[in-house]
Amino acid sequence: MPHSALSPVPQDLAEVYRTTYRALVRFLYRKVWDAERAEDLAQEAFARALVHKPDNARGWLFIVAANMARDDARRAARERRHLTLLTAEAQESNSATDEALEVESDRARVRAALEDLSPRDREVLLLWDSGLSYDEIATQTGLARGAIGTTLSRARRRLVQAYEAGKSGKHVARG
Amino acid sequence: MSHVDDGMLHAYLDGELAPAEAQGVDAHLAQCPGCRERLEEERALIARAGELLALAAPPDREVPPFRAGDVKPPARLWWQVRQPLAWAATIVLALGIGTYLGRGFEALREPETAADAEPARPQALETPLTPERARRESRVTVPGATRKPPAAPASVPAPATPERAEYIARQRAAPVAARAEAPSAQADSVSLDGEHDVLRGPPISVDSARLLLGRDPLAVPGAPIRAVYRARQLGYSAVVIVEQPLDSSTVIEVVNKRASPLALNAVVV
Repeated sequence: MPHSALSPVPQDLAEVYRTTYRALVRFLYRKVWDAERAEDLAQEAFARALVHKPDNARGWLFIVAANMARDDARRAARERRHLTLLTAEAQESNSATDEALEVESDRARVRAALEDLSPRDREVLLLWDSGLSYDEIATQTGLARGAIGTTLSRARRRLVQAYEAGKSGKHVARG
Repeated sequence: MSHVDDGMLHAYLDGELAPAEAQGVDAHLAQCPGCRERLEEERALIARAGELLALAAPPDREVPPFRAGDVKPPARLWWQVRQPLAWAATIVLALGIGTYLGRGFEALREPETAADAEPARPQALETPLTPERARRESRVTVPGATRKPPAAPASVPAPATPERAEYIARQRAAPVAARAEAPSAQADSVSLDGEHDVLRGPPISVDSARLLLGRDPLAVPGAPIRAVYRARQLGYSAVVIVEQPLDSSTVIEVVNKRASPLALNAVVV
């Protein structure tokens, strides 16, 4: 791993980077829905960890990442009130295949289904899917460790229900 | 013995029960077919949820080296050109394209309150193809337009890509005229597409915009330039947004794009 001439990366942070980077990108992706942006934000989160040198880097990173993604979304929301005039683009690039469209719409459905969860349930689910343990999730979310299993069971069920309902065009009332 | 509740079943299946607790569950399952059945249902649920989440994951790439020493601001990553470029020369809505930015540039002003007409704007680049995505079209009077666009559908929902391509093709501009095109007295009505997929980045200089696009950015003739922004969109190597106030309550953004068709294939999973 390349080191700066000025100061070496602390070994423990380098290790955290190696083991956690992909998980952080995955976590961020479910918030900003842009692979490149997720990578950018993940890099920035690690850069900040270098500066702050937090004790529990892994947990700290996910909290920082969540905040950064939220700020990202706020900035995008502020821009909603402008009119936009589009200039044209080259059209030769865009013959999307049926398969690509299918994948895209599946992704969109999952995204919509995720929106159907309560923010807390969604956060717990995404953190678990990013590889955090119940203990880590409890620390990050402030929930009791004993409540994580219940939260996950509810979140998973809701996700699958919402996805299936979305697929068939029905709307499921929130229970 | 009481049955195992859902939360406990999930913790059990996730391997997150303390050994003593897990043994307790084992013991109960050994003598409770009902709970054994539920265990399998929950196991399938967990698997299904995992599948769905995997659908909404970024493409797996190699972990890039930790650029600890030379930490770049995230914006710089957007500048990296990954594929050979194809440059577009068509204009969607003709607005007297002869006027270049270089001619009409004015000092930047303080940002004003946003306009009343608010097209819904997706937050991310990969806009989902959901029918319920809100779109609105607004009519804006733009003084200085020298060419009348055809009447745009006022209440028809967003056209799909092939239709838009046709709409764009109909707008194909003649080779750009020379700079000194005087604004005409006649005001033309322009229909704007409220939907877009760009994610705005930091403000940049006009020179940077020129470099990025390989040409002068296009703007509304006669309107001052408030700011120029770098932006990003899937499938384009460069996107520049020129922000111009049209009046005290209306701001227009002219989106200039430079396409990179091959990059699109690299991103779509």
